[in-house]
Amino acid sequence: MHDAPMPNPSWNRAASWRRVLLITLVLLPTIAAARTMAALLPSRGGTALEFLLVAVFAVLFAWISVGFWTASMGFVLLLFKNNRFSVSRACEGMDMSIPDKSARTAVLIPIYNEDVKRVMAGLRTVYTSIGKTGSSDRFDFFLLSDTTDPDTWVEEEEGWHRFCREENASGRVFYRRRSSNSRRKSGNVADFCRRWGKNYRYMIVFDADSVMAGTTMVRMVQSMEARPDIGILQTPPAGVNRETLIARAQQFANHVYGPMFAAGLHFWQLGDAQYWGHNAIIRTEPFMKHCQVPRLPGKGPLGGDILSHDFVEAALMRRAGYGVWLAYDLGGSWEETPPTLLDELKRDRRWCQGNLQHMRLIFTRGLFPTHRALFLNGILSYGSALLWLAFLLLSSAQAVAEVFFEPVYFSGTKTLFPQWPVWHPHWALTLLGSTAVLLFLPKLFSMILILLKDPSARAFGGRTNLASGILLEVGLSTLLAPVRMIFHSLFVVATLFGKSVGWGTQSRGDRGTSWGEAVSAHWWGTLFGAAWGGLVYLTNPSFFPWISPIVASLLLSAPLSAFTSRSSLGKAFRNAGLLLIPEEVEFPAELADLEDNLLRPEPYTPFPLSRKNGFVRAAVDPLVHSLHTSLLLRYKKKAPARESALEGLVEKALAKGPGSLTQREKMEILKDPRHLAELHRRVWELENRDAAAQWGLVLPAADSGE
Amino acid sequence: MTSIPETGTNTPAGFPDEWRYSRDRVLLYVRALDLPPFRGLDLAVESLKAAGPTSASEAMNKLRELLAENGLDRGILDEEGRHISSMPSLNRGVMVAEPLDRLPWKSALGRFLRRWRRNLFGPWETNGHA
Repeated sequence: MHDAPMPNPSWNRAASWRRVLLITLVLLPTIAAARTMAALLPSRGGTALEFLLVAVFAVLFAWISVGFWTASMGFVLLLFKNNRFSVSRACEGMDMSIPDKSARTAVLIPIYNEDVKRVMAGLRTVYTSIGKTGSSDRFDFFLLSDTTDPDTWVEEEEGWHRFCREENASGRVFYRRRSSNSRRKSGNVADFCRRWGKNYRYMIVFDADSVMAGTTMVRMVQSMEARPDIGILQTPPAGVNRETLIARAQQFANHVYGPMFAAGLHFWQLGDAQYWGHNAIIRTEPFMKHCQVPRLPGKGPLGGDILSHDFVEAALMRRAGYGVWLAYDLGGSWEETPPTLLDELKRDRRWCQGNLQHMRLIFTRGLFPTHRALFLNGILSYGSALLWLAFLLLSSAQAVAEVFFEPVYFSGTKTLFPQWPVWHPHWALTLLGSTAVLLFLPKLFSMILILLKDPSARAFGGRTNLASGILLEVGLSTLLAPVRMIFHSLFVVATLFGKSVGWGTQSRGDRGTSWGEAVSAHWWGTLFGAAWGGLVYLTNPSFFPWISPIVASLLLSAPLSAFTSRSSLGKAFRNAGLLLIPEEVEFPAELADLEDNLLRPEPYTPFPLSRKNGFVRAAVDPLVHSLHTSLLLRYKKKAPARESALEGLVEKALAKGPGSLTQREKMEILKDPRHLAELHRRVWELENRDAAAQWGLVLPAADSGE
Repeated sequence: MTSIPETGTNTPAGFPDEWRYSRDRVLLYVRALDLPPFRGLDLAVESLKAAGPTSASEAMNKLRELLAENGLDRGILDEEGRHISSMPSLNRGVMVAEPLDRLPWKSALGRFLRRWRRNLFGPWETNGHA
């Protein structure tokens, strides 16, 4: 299993001692906080309800403590800047060359029914950026499509072909579409590995919306060359290019707090880091040998394909003896965050199921303890929401119970004096204060780091705007936290009770959430909040203020969802200098290029057909038709019944127009070059003008007549 | 007003639209092929002359014949005259999942029991002792 060079013992030892420190820093305050919590309760944790309350509180306190100490160590690391374990030190002082010609890297861009214009713009940006480094001959690009939409399939082919012609990139940029997207993204990458993985020493995996600077990619390859013990090197992508209020807040948080948290993660993890599935470089050979993610036995959401495959691949890589590192100090890596709360929750639904599947892998033989802890961390990312909800509900139940049940003054043991329930408000405030410190002090640390680097905080619009932005982000997060809590709790419960989630396309545009969508998604949470708040208010009004922020947030969840999805609101804040990020103050060349590439005019076409009407274009446009049929791998004559069915589809399309075909029927025709050619020939011979107009063969009015 | 095509016959007075329809159809096709401007127009005119103004399908058939005769119907080819491919040559490798022992305590118990059974009932090596 271990075919890598032995890991550097110094980082292994340092990592072990650091984790002992982390456990100590988390455990001791958690025990103290749990004891304080128990002491606050009437029976001091003696009843079943109170015991549960204290247990849930302890887990939650430990959970947020981990985040606090991660941020704190990141603060120290960035403050003193002397990190002997930083991976980027391996290529300090090097130029942009990759001396070894056999060190070839494949850049993989898996796509699934994406906006082709955006994908091609991103590809062009990265391709150009790599070209400027002078090392572009070491890189090949692969568009790995799992697209199931027939129109998008044709559009992708056209986009690839046009790109290769315009950039003279034939033999460097490739396009492959899988006919079956088994195992989803991990299967897509594995398919590449099986077909061409042996040609490349490394592969850099992108998301459809990822952008990376060429210099960053070259540095990653150089780091891998200098450190043969590294199996995966992950960069921390920064969120950019969003205009909605919620996405801008997330981008801002990502830039202000992200570097500190990334440094902190590096501090604890060292070579046992996580892989986040994109914006990372992977050593291909051990990945192929050791990191094929298995299918979990059983049906339902906890079985089958592992949705969050990246964590598992990192654990398997580490099990094989290769390090997984986070290059926290390497910039030039970007991604786009979900534009609306509903899109974020749709993504979270998928991630929640994927992380809960890791419950079945925690005890796998051979995995390193850190990766088991990372699985647990991932589970708690969503499980903590359910715990928080449980804590709040238990607290409410406790408050309601105090009204209906008399306190027990004399317990079962014989005693002369009654046990009076004592209320210690200063303890409660101390506990609340400690929790607040854990949650909010890291934000102050981040601000200090930014001001130390640049006292004017120009990259964030100035000191005042930075502070205001942090307050605004905190306010927005606080308002949205209960909404996220309720949805994440639902996701966890639904997954545990066997409700699966489909692999939908992620929305990548800045479209808003309509009021109808918001009400439809949030009505149940609003009703739940109203019922909860109403019950507490009617039974124990003195306890109501404690849960009023949660209830208020739930009652406002639909308007919050709608308003935060508005790009007009986000732009208004941007114009006011709030929630600015460094990339908006000083535009990096890559992002400027991306913007230009998105505005490239569409090439000339004589047909009044949208680019997105791929099926019709493949049937009508002779060049698109030729391209599509050239790229189909091979034609296999089908069974007579199948041939007959396809002939029927062609007749139906000619008689009733392309709109009469379902997506599946369009796919069937597109996959068969013979029947597609037949359709192409007969479409051009249509005598009926209305029928021809449905295929875009009737010229616009300005071009007809003399 | 268009010029009368040199077919030797006048444009049928009852079907002027049919003629325009055929003309527009073949012109659209040669525009879509992105041929050199005059080459495309020449082929369009030739196809209309040969087919006559009666039907678009006949004009298209004639145009396709002319394109084939001139070697312009071979689709998109690469520099060496072959049909293009969007993928490089295959270099197949293996990538299979290694077995995962997700319940190691069960397999540990199994290993322990097998080792114990081997110790109890397995063959013994003679080493000089009786």
